[in-house]
Amino acid sequence: MPILAAPGDTWGVPGPVFLRLYLLAAVALVVGVLVHRRRILRGTPAAAPGTVGLDPQQVAYLNGGEQLAVWTALSGLRQGGTVGVRPDRRLTAGGHPPAGLTPLDQAVHHAANRHLHTRELRADEWVRRALEQLRTGLEQRGLTLTPQAREAVRRGPLLIVLLIAVGVFRIFAGLSNDRPVGWLTLAVLALIGCCVVLARVPWRTRAAERELSELRRRHTYLAPTSAPAYATYGAAGAAMGVALFGTASLWAMDPGFAEQAEIQRQAIAASGNGYSSGSSGSSCGGGSSCGGGSSCGGGSSCGGGGGCGGGGCGG
Amino acid sequence: MTGPVGVGIGWRPEIAGFVAELPGLRFVEVVAEALAATGPLPDGLADLRGRGVTVVPHGVRLSLGGAEPVDPARVAHLARVAALVDAPLVSEHIAFVRAGGLEAGHLLPLPRSREAVAAVVANVRRARAELPVPIALEPIAALFDWPDDELDEADFLTEILAATDASLLLDVANVHANARNRGGDPLALLDRLPLERVAYVHVAGGAEQGGYYHDTHTDPVPAEVLDLVRELCSRRRPPALLLERDGHYPPAAELRAELDALAAASGHPVIT
Repeated sequence: MPILAAPGDTWGVPGPVFLRLYLLAAVALVVGVLVHRRRILRGTPAAAPGTVGLDPQQVAYLNGGEQLAVWTALSGLRQGGTVGVRPDRRLTAGGHPPAGLTPLDQAVHHAANRHLHTRELRADEWVRRALEQLRTGLEQRGLTLTPQAREAVRRGPLLIVLLIAVGVFRIFAGLSNDRPVGWLTLAVLALIGCCVVLARVPWRTRAAERELSELRRRHTYLAPTSAPAYATYGAAGAAMGVALFGTASLWAMDPGFAEQAEIQRQAIAASGNGYSSGSSGSSCGGGSSCGGGSSCGGGSSCGGGGGCGGGGCGG
Repeated sequence: MTGPVGVGIGWRPEIAGFVAELPGLRFVEVVAEALAATGPLPDGLADLRGRGVTVVPHGVRLSLGGAEPVDPARVAHLARVAALVDAPLVSEHIAFVRAGGLEAGHLLPLPRSREAVAAVVANVRRARAELPVPIALEPIAALFDWPDDELDEADFLTEILAATDASLLLDVANVHANARNRGGDPLALLDRLPLERVAYVHVAGGAEQGGYYHDTHTDPVPAEVLDLVRELCSRRRPPALLLERDGHYPPAAELRAELDALAAASGHPVIT
């Protein structure tokens, strides 16, 4: 018997019809959001990975954000012998900064000259400005998302929230109308799941992800598990080690300084090195956890399969 | 598969990034016991193999000089590592590292007796039977002479090499150390060694301490050792020379300077 609008239907729309339309809208919306998100997160399809030519501080920013960029600058300065720590755990610097420093190096050096504590570095005005500059540079190269791009990515989940609101509304209306709402509830829950996943907007692009993994592969020798000879690799090598593998590198390189300056130990995972004198792979990922846009399993998982069975559903 | 050629450096994970960037590098040595027989190779070493750099596994735990037969499992490991890196040869020491079930943890010198020659020869033959490639034998540095030495260093080595058909891995720093610590003329030793059997040469740094020269591998190569390299090369230039550095790694520029000095002293092409 064809289902027609009947006086008992919520909002005058029969449950199965509403459910079908709702699922259609949900799938279309989620697919649309995913496509939109993928496009924005792609970033500038740069040259082949490994040829982007990033300096350690840029790498650090991409890998672990502002704090890691600061630790990287500090490590480079430390390995270069221009920054030390005093017994009162405040930084100190030897006179004028050497030539060839990045703006962030200069800012950290300046802060060390004023005997800041390491935890005050990020809030220092010079450091802030240098970090800002670093971030802008990365945005321009299509490696991090601009605030506008992040905003655009966030618009997707907002639309899904609207659809969820419609569904929730219908569920309550249906309940008060004494209609079954099981399938619609499932659809709404699935949408909520998608929304939660999509609400996490990464701050770096897929181009940056690719570049980072290529750099990590090329610099396995700087992973703390390889017990790198930091003296041999110099200030640039030390900085790249911290940028890619976290402050565990700084602790390995200069434990006295790291401890006295109260630098938080953080290891960013690297693969094992196949050499028995090294220990096994390291522990937690610092700052690098946010998954790219590829995580949510497509629109097909939301809302289940073929329509509804039995006597009416969808409110 | 070519034998080691030119100036090389001991591959260690600590300096893998430095070694990877030596443009002219054609050969490295790797401590055999540090590699897993089943692979995979460490990234840096695999990359070098990909570039066609010769990798020579260098054993330190076989205890060829032990009175008991070599441990078949250790020989098998060395053989598998040699296959893994597609090595043209492997090397080990003329020394013992365990006796009566006790591990010394060091390479210990043998008394230079006929009995010791026989023991080494028997062990080298056992090892060679299982190894896919030839073996080069390296005499070690010793701070003392055993009281029952019947042979001098040159005769001792010559007899072992002749009886086993092994080639020689001559450690110039050891030659210097032995001459310095036990007396004797290093040049006279060079004159009497079968230099045509040298597969390659080890050069390492050391330091004077308490009146003795210690072959530390953690200090710069002293001028006397480089002089010996020149003397050796003026007699017969070995096909390859290898810088051994095992710790206290200096800045890259200093390591490069050591490799350059080795190239200059030997007349091999600069690899840096």
